[in-house]
Amino acid sequence: MHFAEVGEIKREGKDFSLDIDVRPNRSADCFSHIGIAREIAAITNSKLLEPASKIEEDKELKAKNFIKVEVKNSGDCRRYTSRVITGVKVGPSPQYIRKMLKVCGLRPINNIVDIANYVMLETGQPLHTFDGDKLEGKKIIVRFAKKGERIVTLDGEKYDLDNEILVIADAEKPVAIAGIKGGKSPEIDEKTNIVVLESANFNPKTIRNSSKSIDLKTDASLRFEHGVDPNLTEIAINRAAFLIQKIAKGKVSQGKIDIYPRKILPNKIKLDLDYVKNLLGILIPEKEIKNILEKLGFKVSGSKILSIEVPTRRLDVLTQEDLIEDIGRVYGYQKIPTIFPLASLIPPRRNLNVFWEDSTKDILKEMGFNEVYNYSFISENDAEALNYGKGELIELENPLSSDHQYLRPSLIPNLLKNIADNQKNFQDIKIFEIGNIFKKFVTKKSAQKPAEKVMLTGVLTGDAFYQTKGVIDSLLNKIGISDIWYNEYNPTPEESKSCLWHLKKCAEIKVGREEIGFLGEISSRVANNFKVEKKIAVFDLDFGKLSSLASEESEYRPVSRFPAAVRDIAVLIPRLTKVEEVLRKIQKNGGDLVKDVDLFDIYEGESIEEGKKNLAFHIIFQSEDKTLSSQEIDLLQNKIIKALEENPEWQVRKQ
Amino acid sequence: MVKVDLKLLKNQAKIELGKIKDLKELNDISNKYFGKEGKIGQILGSLEKLPKDKRASVGKSANDLKEFLKVIFEKKSEEIKFKIKKEQETKDWIDITAPGKKPTLGHLHPLTQTKRKVEEIFQSMGFSIIEGPEIETEWYNFDALNIPKNHPARDQWDTFWLKPENLRLLLRTHTSPVQVRYMEKNNPPLRIIAPGNVFRHEATDASHEFQLYQVEGLMVDKGISVPSFKAVVGEFFRRFFQKEVKFRLRPDFFPFTEPSFDISITCVVCGGKGCSVCKGTGWVEVAGAGMVNQNVFKYSGYIRGKWQGWAFGFGLERLTMMKYKINDIRLFRSGDLRFLNQF
Repeated sequence: MHFAEVGEIKREGKDFSLDIDVRPNRSADCFSHIGIAREIAAITNSKLLEPASKIEEDKELKAKNFIKVEVKNSGDCRRYTSRVITGVKVGPSPQYIRKMLKVCGLRPINNIVDIANYVMLETGQPLHTFDGDKLEGKKIIVRFAKKGERIVTLDGEKYDLDNEILVIADAEKPVAIAGIKGGKSPEIDEKTNIVVLESANFNPKTIRNSSKSIDLKTDASLRFEHGVDPNLTEIAINRAAFLIQKIAKGKVSQGKIDIYPRKILPNKIKLDLDYVKNLLGILIPEKEIKNILEKLGFKVSGSKILSIEVPTRRLDVLTQEDLIEDIGRVYGYQKIPTIFPLASLIPPRRNLNVFWEDSTKDILKEMGFNEVYNYSFISENDAEALNYGKGELIELENPLSSDHQYLRPSLIPNLLKNIADNQKNFQDIKIFEIGNIFKKFVTKKSAQKPAEKVMLTGVLTGDAFYQTKGVIDSLLNKIGISDIWYNEYNPTPEESKSCLWHLKKCAEIKVGREEIGFLGEISSRVANNFKVEKKIAVFDLDFGKLSSLASEESEYRPVSRFPAAVRDIAVLIPRLTKVEEVLRKIQKNGGDLVKDVDLFDIYEGESIEEGKKNLAFHIIFQSEDKTLSSQEIDLLQNKIIKALEENPEWQVRKQ
Repeated sequence: MVKVDLKLLKNQAKIELGKIKDLKELNDISNKYFGKEGKIGQILGSLEKLPKDKRASVGKSANDLKEFLKVIFEKKSEEIKFKIKKEQETKDWIDITAPGKKPTLGHLHPLTQTKRKVEEIFQSMGFSIIEGPEIETEWYNFDALNIPKNHPARDQWDTFWLKPENLRLLLRTHTSPVQVRYMEKNNPPLRIIAPGNVFRHEATDASHEFQLYQVEGLMVDKGISVPSFKAVVGEFFRRFFQKEVKFRLRPDFFPFTEPSFDISITCVVCGGKGCSVCKGTGWVEVAGAGMVNQNVFKYSGYIRGKWQGWAFGFGLERLTMMKYKINDIRLFRSGDLRFLNQF
């Protein structure tokens, strides 16, 4: 509640292990057992006991006589600290060290290597050990690798190095990949007598780059990547030397080698207590704030506006807000009151896209459609099945799998998959989706810029062309779009090759002069590719255009007080003649008194001349200001019939 | 003499009416009395044969009788009709235990329903709904949110990158870029929410998805602090789950907020007793939040230190799963109508 989340608590013999999710900002001081202990001490008001590290140096032996250290790139290796321990007895570690390593997921090797790892877990400072006798020229050089250099690491893996990878080298060759992993050549074995301990600090970016370029992550690289306090090297190396002396019975040479050209000093921050109150929304007494900060290791002075000295291990604390976070969490967010904000009464802005999206979804739902959400990706196969030009698709640099290679250029492919998946369980399916599609749209300025737009796409099973058209008419009327018409789609030969629509059973949907989408049947080739067995019709609308055309304005038209009369008419016309032509003729000749013309049947087939079709209409006559007499209606009806029969190929069938 | 006739007639009619069984008999009797040659008619027709001084009184009596008989005839007629209807309907028995015929209903996706609920609640508290692109630039998704290049903090967001790599375009990993896009163009005070798809380059399982629906929230003004965040978010939970839901803030880390916290609510599935959904803890983490980092204000073009604000990000899938007790996050984008028809 005050620091980090404990994921799992496991029993380990008499002890427990805690799996703590330390957030990356606290890696520098809390990827370590001492760091966690320090937090717990601060939160529970207890005293932190630091582990012992009092070494007895052997004055006869001088560290600098055993090893010379040279750092070529001090920007990448900010500190290199080394100690030498001689006369060690290499063997298995004591049980408590072996157990600790195992619980933390490390493999015990021998007492020297284990102590280095143990101290890393304890302090957060990665350490490394070399067999002093195996270092050529008794030299340690920190430098970038040369092109062509190779290294075999402790686990026997070979790595090709290059001049972007920082290494630890002896006089001849790299002996470790700096901050990541040690090399095989100077490894500690049973015969090792002289141990050279390395406790260094590397630039996080350098280690991150090396680690990425050789694709190797280790406990050490994880810590260095996140940043480690340069002042920690000394504390950790003394602790390790202490343990080696105690456990492996070595003699610690006098002095340490410490290359630390630019010492990092504690940062100072001014903390305004008014700001603490304003941001946390609660007045915490000055005394309590000071107490919290001091428990966490900050040095505090002043009053009202405090001067805070930040311990160098707290790499995350750079600003007042960082300090306020520490105060807030230790004080306890649960103690902060709940108070509604005082704000100007500014009504929320209406989002018309959202409004029309909601309306459209409701209307389609009323019509019995099911809404689906699909992934925004399509596969390589889908792209091929749809004959998309690779140039217009947006490909992912790192797809999860080949099923998600491209961003979807249309909502249709995934909806077809929905049909294929559901066709065994459901007879009639009506589904739709509103979502973004992604394509490289050709613009004037730049040739091909990735872009996205919102589409509304639906699929109906069955012989549903006219049903789909009816859905579009009703939908558009309901959102206040009236000037709707449909145009035959005439693709260029090039377009027709990649066209996913049935070439003839497909129409452009137009509003005024603007094309807003398509509807029709899908070419059987495409449907087969998606394993759709049912007959289907599809509509595909540019939702952005739709919502910009939509309108909430509508006007009531009074219902005429006078009765309406219905007359039927049937016309036999050539199969390829469009219904619209007939309708237009009826309307033109009937004039204003024709209230509505309703096509109730289209028939072709048996009992009808080949190459012809029969259309049957209800014509509704009604006047706004009188009851029409049957003579008046007959007159109009005859006028319409006469006009229709002007075309020698059209034949009105009197009933 | 006439008087006796009328009384007799009245009684006779009553008796005859009592014997009637159906509408036809009623009709016959009705004709007998009221028809052209009916008894009442005869009486009225014979009036002129009476002495002048009696005509008026006899006429009145006859008319009274006529009115009286009409009323009882009408009553009888109703009785018979009701009886017939009852008999008829008794014969028309249907089996009401046979199944009903359901109309085909459409269904809105559960995420749409959750999204609407969330939008409605926040709009009622003065938040506007703002949208942003799903293809984002590295700047808006990371740098402007205080997540620098080559920083391990970026590893928190596994990212889908788009080809060609040199454009540095990606699928947004969170809705937080909308904060910056909005603040660049608008000055405080502001209250917005930004719903939309986000993408994570992650392996999937019952509780992990690589495409998610998120809602971002942002409030910026002078003196906006933690108590108002707690109030708004608490009100949201109360209204969303329609009951009192406990929540808590725990410290967390997001580069774009400082302080940062995550929000957990008492597990709605088990009521906080511990179950598989909350992994036995009784709490479920539903959002990340915090006080907007001053660097984010700076990158959005505001003066550092001038404004205060808080921001949050909710996963709609998580909220929906809690609300409907859905056990597998992958169902949302399965397109399986057996799942979707339940909402």
